[in-house]
Amino acid sequence: MSTVVRKTVNFKINGKDASAPEGTVIIEAAKQHGVEVTNLCYNRKLKPFAACRTCMVDVRSADGKKELVYSCTHPVAEGIEVFTDTEETDRYNGACLEMLLVEHPLDCPICDKSGVCPLQDNTEALQMSNGRFEIQRRNEPSDKSNPLIEFYLNRCILCGLCVRACDEIQGVQALDFHQRGMKSMIGTANQEPLDCEFCGNCITVCPTGALMDMSSQERGLAALFKTNNSICGYCSWGCTVQMESKKNKVTRFVGDETPGEGINEGNLCSKGRFGHGIIHNENRIKSPLINFGGTFKEVSWDEAIKTIIDRVQATINRNGPETVVGIGGEKLTNEENFLFQKLFRELYGSNQVTNLANMRAPYVNQFMVRCFENGINSKPVTELENSDVVLVFNSDLPSEYPVGGNSVRKGTIFSGTDVIIANPRKVVFKSESNIDIRLNYSLGSDMTVANRIARILIDEGIVNTANVKLAVPNYDELIQSLAPYTAEAAQQATGLSDEVLTRAAKRFGRTADRYILIGNDIFDSGQGEDVLNALLNLSILVHHGAEGSVSIFPPREHCNSQGVNDMGCTPDFLPGYQPVPDHFGTNNPAGDLLENCTNGTIKFLHIAGEDPVHSYYKGEKIKNALNTVPFLVVQDVYMTDTAKMADVILPATTYAEKEGSFTNMTRHVQKVTPATLPQGQSRTDHDIFTQLANVFGKPFPNSAVSDVQDEISKTVPIYNGTLPGSKSVQWAPDGFKQNPGFRVTEARQETSQKEGFAFKLVSNNHMFHIGSYTQYAKALTDIGPDCVAELNPEDARALGIGDGDRIMIESDMHRVEVPVILSTVTAKGTVYVPKNWVAVQLNLLRNGEEGPVSIKISKLG
Amino acid sequence: METKETEVTDQETAEEEEIDLAPVHEILDSFPSKSRRYMIPMLQKIQGVYRYLPDKAIRLLMEALEVTRAEVYGVISFYPQLLTTEPGKYIIKLCYGTACFVKGAPAIEGKIHERYHIRAGETDDTKLFTLQTASCLGNCGAAPMALIGDDTHGTIDPEATLELLGAYKLEDESEEPAEETTSE
Repeated sequence: MSTVVRKTVNFKINGKDASAPEGTVIIEAAKQHGVEVTNLCYNRKLKPFAACRTCMVDVRSADGKKELVYSCTHPVAEGIEVFTDTEETDRYNGACLEMLLVEHPLDCPICDKSGVCPLQDNTEALQMSNGRFEIQRRNEPSDKSNPLIEFYLNRCILCGLCVRACDEIQGVQALDFHQRGMKSMIGTANQEPLDCEFCGNCITVCPTGALMDMSSQERGLAALFKTNNSICGYCSWGCTVQMESKKNKVTRFVGDETPGEGINEGNLCSKGRFGHGIIHNENRIKSPLINFGGTFKEVSWDEAIKTIIDRVQATINRNGPETVVGIGGEKLTNEENFLFQKLFRELYGSNQVTNLANMRAPYVNQFMVRCFENGINSKPVTELENSDVVLVFNSDLPSEYPVGGNSVRKGTIFSGTDVIIANPRKVVFKSESNIDIRLNYSLGSDMTVANRIARILIDEGIVNTANVKLAVPNYDELIQSLAPYTAEAAQQATGLSDEVLTRAAKRFGRTADRYILIGNDIFDSGQGEDVLNALLNLSILVHHGAEGSVSIFPPREHCNSQGVNDMGCTPDFLPGYQPVPDHFGTNNPAGDLLENCTNGTIKFLHIAGEDPVHSYYKGEKIKNALNTVPFLVVQDVYMTDTAKMADVILPATTYAEKEGSFTNMTRHVQKVTPATLPQGQSRTDHDIFTQLANVFGKPFPNSAVSDVQDEISKTVPIYNGTLPGSKSVQWAPDGFKQNPGFRVTEARQETSQKEGFAFKLVSNNHMFHIGSYTQYAKALTDIGPDCVAELNPEDARALGIGDGDRIMIESDMHRVEVPVILSTVTAKGTVYVPKNWVAVQLNLLRNGEEGPVSIKISKLG
Repeated sequence: METKETEVTDQETAEEEEIDLAPVHEILDSFPSKSRRYMIPMLQKIQGVYRYLPDKAIRLLMEALEVTRAEVYGVISFYPQLLTTEPGKYIIKLCYGTACFVKGAPAIEGKIHERYHIRAGETDDTKLFTLQTASCLGNCGAAPMALIGDDTHGTIDPEATLELLGAYKLEDESEEPAEETTSE
């Protein structure tokens, strides 16, 4: 909850006693007490608007005065009595509805919204099916000028929900009202093709079928689809998606706005809503494959599994269990990852399981544990919208955690949340915050920004240093380490004036419920660990030295990047961050997996659902490693570059075909349910691991998903009470020892400048893509077809590069060719390139460099 | 009709290339702050300079006020006064109030269409006239009436519409007709 406490007021609804926080509008208070008021334009996520005039209620004030008011704008007050659905209010509400029905086509049988349409429900509730007026229907053609969202304005009732969602939830304002009077309509400027973030939240809020999802072949009646709620399989925010399927085919995804459902209130992003094209897809791996001298031959499952197990057994016998290594999957469920590590640890006898995130940044788990050791457990992310201030650190929110951005925007409207955005790019984030501080710092000075803010908190007395000193033993060490971060030094390194940093520090330091959202971009800064430490130091300062709370989460990229670590797919911990027993010994080849593949230590590698050849930052080395390792098993949905190097390939399933749970970046454990059966011959990763165990001769005693969940609940204390995840519970960090302490590092900045390479590369996930699967989703390639670089207009002018020109980007390792657009979002001296296109291999450009990659660019003919 | 409109827009785009945008910067800077509360007066002043709202000028305004294209065009399309294409030399504001309607405004509109092939909201090919209709110009005693450019014409004889308009020419600005209040 926000630190601002709202008074509770008492009143009556239809004769029953009720109470709600001051300022709650009547319609919402009524809903909380089980009373539905008719309406078409109210949505609890949006500001009251009162366009439809169908939510009138009868209010008697404490002194008995009667008033007819619109319940979506009128707040509850002490002592009032509210009457809904009276003869009088029904008459008024019905009359407004009757007018809408004069124009509305009532083509319900072919409408996508039929069955979930408030207009239908209200028409029924107010018994308005026989209106008094002559019907005058509009007959405009539907507008399909963009690839995903169809505008069929004949059904539009001008409630403005889409316009407001686009503005208030998404901060994009691609839609607005146009014309006036009878000609009024919603849409884009001059009815130009829609060009926006394609979150589709306008489709979710549309009460009629005026805005529709065109991404699916199967259209029509929502009521006729089979639905199941599951968790999105893309980013780590963990949104609940309602999957709609027909005849066992997943047809479309919609947002479920039921209060309390999941963490996202029905908000989705382009990937979450339109990315279902990866499920029923011709390009999926169709059968188990074995590599015979360079060509893959289709084999039976039995043969593939037996080949793998024979090899595992031979390797264990000949070279020892620790030469058998596995890479767990950031897109696999908790249950699958649990079985994977169990397969390795308990059956193969090898502690050598890891995951790509852990290989890149093993310090992230340590960081998380240190948060707990310092008593910072972090609130659930559902409280983000009630926070007082959010620090977004090096994350381009609308691309990285778009739905997180939605929650922050809601906070700025309803809770007065202030926003501090620190990023080397001038990222776009529109909100209604009163205070919106932008720290647009020089690339590579992340740590300086965080440390300077910490020093200001102390120097200016914003935090109570005496309390901090009392609580944290090595406080003096922190003070010493912050000495170099003077105003001048910080300004020189970051390019930020001390005034703006002081404003940020003051806003962050004063009494508040604070959230820190950290972007995965910090890993590319070359100082990821130091940045995390600096941000944790900052959090510890306000945790002990200021009123309110602080919530800070480790950056995670994929849907289960948190869970894969929780489930112990790391050589450092057993599931639940429990210590690894001594009998595994100290030999740890997975600790430096690339090196130990290349030098022949690792004899067998099993990769579950990952494509490191494309995604791992050491592009060349990972290729060498996979080429060298004597036996490589890859299980995946698509024929990735990694799969192409395997000895055995097993076709796995997408997130819409499996059961289990994902854990999001803020530790919410959430239930994943299948919308359809595994396609073709593919099998869930769960089944694959179970069969490997069977053939190995030590079957898992109970291997159903629910059995595995029972086992996790018993053996992993932090997950006790969270599974099966239908309640979206955040796991509690019980059992971590309290060990407060700052962790300090020497002041330094990534300034490596290579001769002849004048630019720096900045890269992350594109707004419409994440990982490499989204490239197979037609809807997403329709809106994000090409990899386009971004260059600052001033740099472009100096180099004679124009908007749309093709450029060559070269590091000392690799070169790529891409078209370029000019944008002031990208800072001078940097080039931004999204990392999701297989043909544009940025990890080869980077090739292991930890900090910003030095590149040069030139215009192509 | 659609093709014709497209042609006009293409011409506008071609002409826009040469627009001097300095006045737009001046206008934007002349307001106390670059806040969207000044959007309408800014649009009016910009139109005062160019006689319409060139797309390039709109883009500058969007950037300065940090508003989106949908928002600006939402405002523009709400007010008939604001034009997005260059109007003819003279804007005919034909009153369509009750009195003018009864006394022959539709007949006048018919005559104009016959001769110049334009309906309300359109500009003729020579760019002499843009026809607009008005709900009521508040001069019902002189119905039917119209404004042509800055001139007010009352009690128009629908049959003499073309003669009245004939006095307006593309060139020869010196021979512009003197202001008439009535023509019988």
